[in-house]
Amino acid sequence: MSSLNTFGAILTYAIELETRLTDYYKQAGNAEQASASDKRRVKLERARREFVLEITLEAIEGLDEANYALELGDTSAAGQKQAAATAARFYADVAPRINVRDAQRILEKCGKEHTAAA
Amino acid sequence: MAQKLKNYIGGDWVESSSSITTPVINPATCETIAECPESTRADVDAAVKAAQEGFEEWRRTPVLNRVQYLFRFKTMMEERFEDITKAVVEENGKTRDEARGEVRRGIESIDFATSVPVLMRNDGLEDIAAGIDETTVRQPAGVFAAITPFNFPAMVPLWFLPTAIACGNTFILKPSPQTPISAGLLYEVLHDLDLPEGVVNLIQGGKEASMAVMEHPGIKGVSFVGSTPVAKLVYETCTKHGKRVQAQGGAKNYIAVLPDADMAASVKNIMGAAYGCAGQRCLAAAVVVAVGDAHDKLKEELVKQAGNLRVGYGLNETTQMGTVVSAVAKERIERMITQGIEQGATPALDGRNAQVSGYEGGNFVGPTIVENVTPDNILAKEEVFGPVLAIMKANDFDEAIDIINSSKYGNAASLFTTNGGYAREFKYRVNAGNIGINIGVAAPSASFPFGGQKDSFFGDLHGQGMDSIEFYTERKIVIERWI
Repeated sequence: MSSLNTFGAILTYAIELETRLTDYYKQAGNAEQASASDKRRVKLERARREFVLEITLEAIEGLDEANYALELGDTSAAGQKQAAATAARFYADVAPRINVRDAQRILEKCGKEHTAAA
Repeated sequence: MAQKLKNYIGGDWVESSSSITTPVINPATCETIAECPESTRADVDAAVKAAQEGFEEWRRTPVLNRVQYLFRFKTMMEERFEDITKAVVEENGKTRDEARGEVRRGIESIDFATSVPVLMRNDGLEDIAAGIDETTVRQPAGVFAAITPFNFPAMVPLWFLPTAIACGNTFILKPSPQTPISAGLLYEVLHDLDLPEGVVNLIQGGKEASMAVMEHPGIKGVSFVGSTPVAKLVYETCTKHGKRVQAQGGAKNYIAVLPDADMAASVKNIMGAAYGCAGQRCLAAAVVVAVGDAHDKLKEELVKQAGNLRVGYGLNETTQMGTVVSAVAKERIERMITQGIEQGATPALDGRNAQVSGYEGGNFVGPTIVENVTPDNILAKEEVFGPVLAIMKANDFDEAIDIINSSKYGNAASLFTTNGGYAREFKYRVNAGNIGINIGVAAPSASFPFGGQKDSFFGDLHGQGMDSIEFYTERKIVIERWI
């Protein structure tokens, strides 16, 4: 997958991102952030299930997951801030492109939480 | 050897009495993913007997208890959501998001059915004459069945089953043999609800099973969704056998675009209407009528956006349009495009012979746009049920309405405009059961009936909404005097 061109592609990428961050924070010994990432994953899975309606399935252009590649080799405090900053940038870019307000709100909230951790 | 699917009768998974099966083929990979049994009249009879026996207990189960099963059904559907959407993609070919949207809509029908304790209540009047009270009550009517299509294999069964059983009836589902797996998964969930035996039953199969359902004297009513010729046959057969019936048929849905419409935003919406589910839905946009000088800009934007759609295997999240359901469907759709061109239409975007890398044998038809389509062209008159959008021209709004109303179908029609006056006239004058204003897919939510007029619907009471409460109940009037 490279292009984030559908509702499902964006939400699925967000779910995978939070799954990877959960593992990453666990490795880094940051239980609080690992738990927060896992909660976001659950919320995003619910958003993918509940807010997909056929009238909102319009094509999305101009987003590519390559722009949001996580660097998870560095588990230091600086590395964690960098990972959170990448995630925050991802949510800031994708939230306005989702045309379902409820799903958009969840993406915005995820972005805010990552921004606070960055 | 792919798994042979089973029927679900009287609370148990049972083999069909027939050894004949139809392969269920993944339309993208062309793999055989299951074998659907050609269930027999004997299988249907066994299901009806189980449903009749189940009815005696189920109708006496308090309605508040009945809907508790539906609350649990909803919760368990959420848990199995991704499994079911994956099955929908694998057997039908649509995209993952479209499958998710379909299952979501199905769950909305479960939500609606949990309101049955309110919706089944009726009215009464004291002292209609001196000392005489008159009341009406709604009672469950018996065994109902649904014969459902390939294009929404998870959603359409849920238009009917939850409300039917919430009203106290028992139910038999006969899904399409092209897409029977999703229905099997729904019944796996239903099995885990521990409903009383015989409340829900599943018969896999084709024509013999369908005819047996339509003719069986133990079935009170039948719901059907499919093509117009079959809907008409279902209506005639069921009424001949004394059943109530709601038969939703085919469609040729028109979208009129006025010059004042926001063209880019309108076309973005029309894309979903024309090419969502590869055009295989009864609400798909088939003809866009460009009014006045809307044509050139509209065509340019349609071709640009349709040409950018990514066609591929539905399980890939980036796919924006999947396959059509079968090789037979692909051949028919491409033949109709060819016929339309031979009759004078001009291809502006030709999706015939579409190829997708890695899925070379897949049943892909690319987004197609044909213009210069006249009212007598096959692409203006007949349902294609594929990703084909015909462009017609109308000099003015009135001519657009005349074109739309000349169709033998009346399932849906939409208007794109920023003018409220035209929007009002459109709603008022167009003969179609579902009207969209700046909405390409005029799909009613579960609490509204699914409209349909002319050759798009045969029956009186539509599926969904309050019509479904009427369909699934008998009204009894009690006139009472104590002497």
